[in-house]
Amino acid sequence: MLPKLQKFWIFTLFCYIRPIYKHFLSQISSLESYIFTFDGLSLLFILFLLLAVVPNLFYAWGYLDHIRHKWHFIVHYITFILAMLGVVIANTPFVFLFSWELMSLASWQLILNNAQGQKELQAARFYFFMTHFGFIFILLFFLIVSNGNLSLPFSQLPIIASHFAYPTLLFFLLVLGFLSKAGVVPLHVWLPYAHPAAPSAVSALMSGAMLKIALYGFMRMMLEILFPWHLEWGVLILILGALSSLIGVLYALSEHDIKALLANHSIENIGMILIAFGMGMIFNTLHLPKLSAFAFLAGIYHIFNHMSFKSLLFMAAGAVLHQTHTKNIEKYGGLIKSMPITAVSFLFAAISISALPPTNGFLSEWMIFQSLLGSSSIYDIALKISIPFAVFALALTGGLAIACFVKAFGITFLGLHRSSNAKHSHEVNRLMLIGMVTMAFVVLILMLFAPLFLHIFNNAIKDFGIANIYHLIAPTPWTIHSIAHNGGVVAPLFLAFALIVITLFLLLAAKILQIRYRTYHTWACGYRTNAKMQYSATGFAGPIRRFFAWLYRPKVHFHKTTIAGHTTKFTSALYDVHIKPLFEESLYEGTKKILNHISYWLYRLAHFEQGRYTAIIFNLMLSVLFGYRVVAYDFSWSTFVLEAIILLASIKILVVGEKK
Amino acid sequence: MIGYIIWIAVMLLLAPLFLTLIKMVKMWLLFKKPLPLSQGYRNFAKLICKETVVSQEASIITHIAPYMVLSPLIVVLFLLPPPSSNTFFIGFTDAFTITGLIALSSFFLMLLGLDSASGFGGIGSSREAFISALVEPAMILVIFALSLMAKNLEVAKAAINLNHHFPIEHLASFAFAGIAFFILLLAENGRIPIDNPQTHLELTMVHEAMILDISGWYLALVESASAIKFIIFASLFVSFFMPFGMQMPFLSLCFCIF
Repeated sequence: MLPKLQKFWIFTLFCYIRPIYKHFLSQISSLESYIFTFDGLSLLFILFLLLAVVPNLFYAWGYLDHIRHKWHFIVHYITFILAMLGVVIANTPFVFLFSWELMSLASWQLILNNAQGQKELQAARFYFFMTHFGFIFILLFFLIVSNGNLSLPFSQLPIIASHFAYPTLLFFLLVLGFLSKAGVVPLHVWLPYAHPAAPSAVSALMSGAMLKIALYGFMRMMLEILFPWHLEWGVLILILGALSSLIGVLYALSEHDIKALLANHSIENIGMILIAFGMGMIFNTLHLPKLSAFAFLAGIYHIFNHMSFKSLLFMAAGAVLHQTHTKNIEKYGGLIKSMPITAVSFLFAAISISALPPTNGFLSEWMIFQSLLGSSSIYDIALKISIPFAVFALALTGGLAIACFVKAFGITFLGLHRSSNAKHSHEVNRLMLIGMVTMAFVVLILMLFAPLFLHIFNNAIKDFGIANIYHLIAPTPWTIHSIAHNGGVVAPLFLAFALIVITLFLLLAAKILQIRYRTYHTWACGYRTNAKMQYSATGFAGPIRRFFAWLYRPKVHFHKTTIAGHTTKFTSALYDVHIKPLFEESLYEGTKKILNHISYWLYRLAHFEQGRYTAIIFNLMLSVLFGYRVVAYDFSWSTFVLEAIILLASIKILVVGEKK
Repeated sequence: MIGYIIWIAVMLLLAPLFLTLIKMVKMWLLFKKPLPLSQGYRNFAKLICKETVVSQEASIITHIAPYMVLSPLIVVLFLLPPPSSNTFFIGFTDAFTITGLIALSSFFLMLLGLDSASGFGGIGSSREAFISALVEPAMILVIFALSLMAKNLEVAKAAINLNHHFPIEHLASFAFAGIAFFILLLAENGRIPIDNPQTHLELTMVHEAMILDISGWYLALVESASAIKFIIFASLFVSFFMPFGMQMPFLSLCFCIF
């Protein structure tokens, strides 16, 4: 399979090389047009990439022995990282688009690197299709705002964009282009297929960094090119964010494939970031600059945080996968005993992603809540009433995320081994561990130095007309203040310190009381425990699955063998639940069905006798005549209806004919 | 400052009393002989003296989780609204932090349930996960509504603001928030319509099922955590939804006793 794809890859590269070569010649000849930019936002995202990539390099190095096509992996891995860097520092649409496409193609090849079965190939094909679906819209956007000259620097584009008559069209192009890459509902369907199929180091990069690069693109274009926003745009982004966060976490809960679970969680977190951005846009259009700046800071902080803990989670999941050779969460269990460092780093990241204090995930979610609280300063009553729905979505997401990560950690690492693979697992090699520990440090740094990071974020975006509020939200290095007048304060360092002190105090109490410990088998109400008696992941998500049955529409397979209708000691039972995502079923399968239908009719029309063609021409003439009458002469409903009936009848009788 | 410390100490000491009181009333209503008020303290003393039996399937989580269940709740205790408006209070944490700390405590409780490889623990954690997932949005929305009425999100300041200026113009929202918070109080503390702490069948338990397999010192920690959680919710309910008498705390205390 691979050589064939390799050929295709080379072919695609070839298609690119010629125009690039020509373009670079022209670029070099006109040195005054800068193709790269190093402004605040770019530097911020270079820092972002640095934090994301450095731990990942160690991990990928350690992971390399698990990979069959090593050179293929290394080449595309490095290309992928450089392409992301290129997107971040691009200053002309051409460089941007080129890097963007390179990033997509390199990640596509990385998904194929691991391909063993039909499933991975399909995932890669789906990813390839979706990423180019988005690319078309980005290309269209750039063609419109640059008047077709793709080598103009970004700073010249806003003038052309402001002369374009339909800014909302440009906004929709951006939404479709960038947010399909970022995995926002309803364009998220590729994510839970593509991310699990890639090697774990790449999943971590794709989920941790690539999705945020898409958000970077969105943010940059919105801030730099499309700046005077409309109120409706912010509302749309807010709605998309709220929907994504809820749907992402709900499907994450029902997932048994650990990497697909994490991928679905990325959808949720992207939704949270978009809630913050949407609020920022709404406040900006309503001339509330401080609240707007706070919301944007919350969003950027969550971008960084999600990168850190999601990368860590993917790395730990990859380590588990490396040892057990299965992605099925039901086949794990008890891994904390054999893989303690992996387990602890997974737990740390899980606490952070569940937004539990005092971790960085909590801090950014707190900031997003605070920016939603700022909605009390809005005077538009309809908006004021509807924003609590976003609060509800975000809060429910938070609650479900806790359930989801208790499931992910508890079923994977606690209890007894559920399969022999899990039993024979041991800690992964040192390089992978270094990667994980470094990433855990990144999470820790983001938590401990939150005010410092907020300072950096604010400096990065203040050039784009966003207010400088750093001194208001973080007057001291240990507290973060809300900008909303009814908001609150959070003190992460104080909380961490208090938790540690009280825990130490309790440990001291245990020491003083001289508690004796004894190890004995689990009581479990008198039953003997074994691996099969434990709660499964399906069972754990059971109550929530039943509660949201209207959304999940689970397909339950219950198979029980009986002897002459009686259950006996030899009876075996199988209970299996499958959930197909609603969007995939309705939106994507539905589109497929409609397209099939249309193509069937076209086929029928194209392969039929002359009489039918004549009938089509006749109907065409008829409709032109009628249409001309309606448009050019007086319009009256009665004749319009009459003509429509005649036209429809003629089409039905002459063209469609009798159904066979 | 001294008043603050005394107040924390009083709440810590009274925590087991409240749960015993509820049990006592319940037994009295069922025409049983009520247990003495000191039962909570006796249980605590008994559990501390006992040997701590740890399941052989359990991992390090069983040794960490009881501490992590209790310590966030103790931190919350320090952040609660003051009993009177001239007492010292900690002003740099808000209601989201308190919800988060309570969620942190229940996160570790759920892990504790899954750690001992017992099916009952799994049942308990699964149900607790479901309940707390639904409690979270309700809690946040109550906080959201309250912060709009009290003009502040910091619990202590919000309670004081409500005390000084009762939101009579938002009475409907206030009443609904109060009802919602009361239901949350029942759900979070495992009270009767949601969970029954006195049940005798493991299959119907939520909170008790998670802690079936821990004993001794660890059980003492987890039991104190549930007592403290109850007193946290009771205190929040009183200071938000009965915002009277912060000027004369002793009088209202007497009123509560009678």
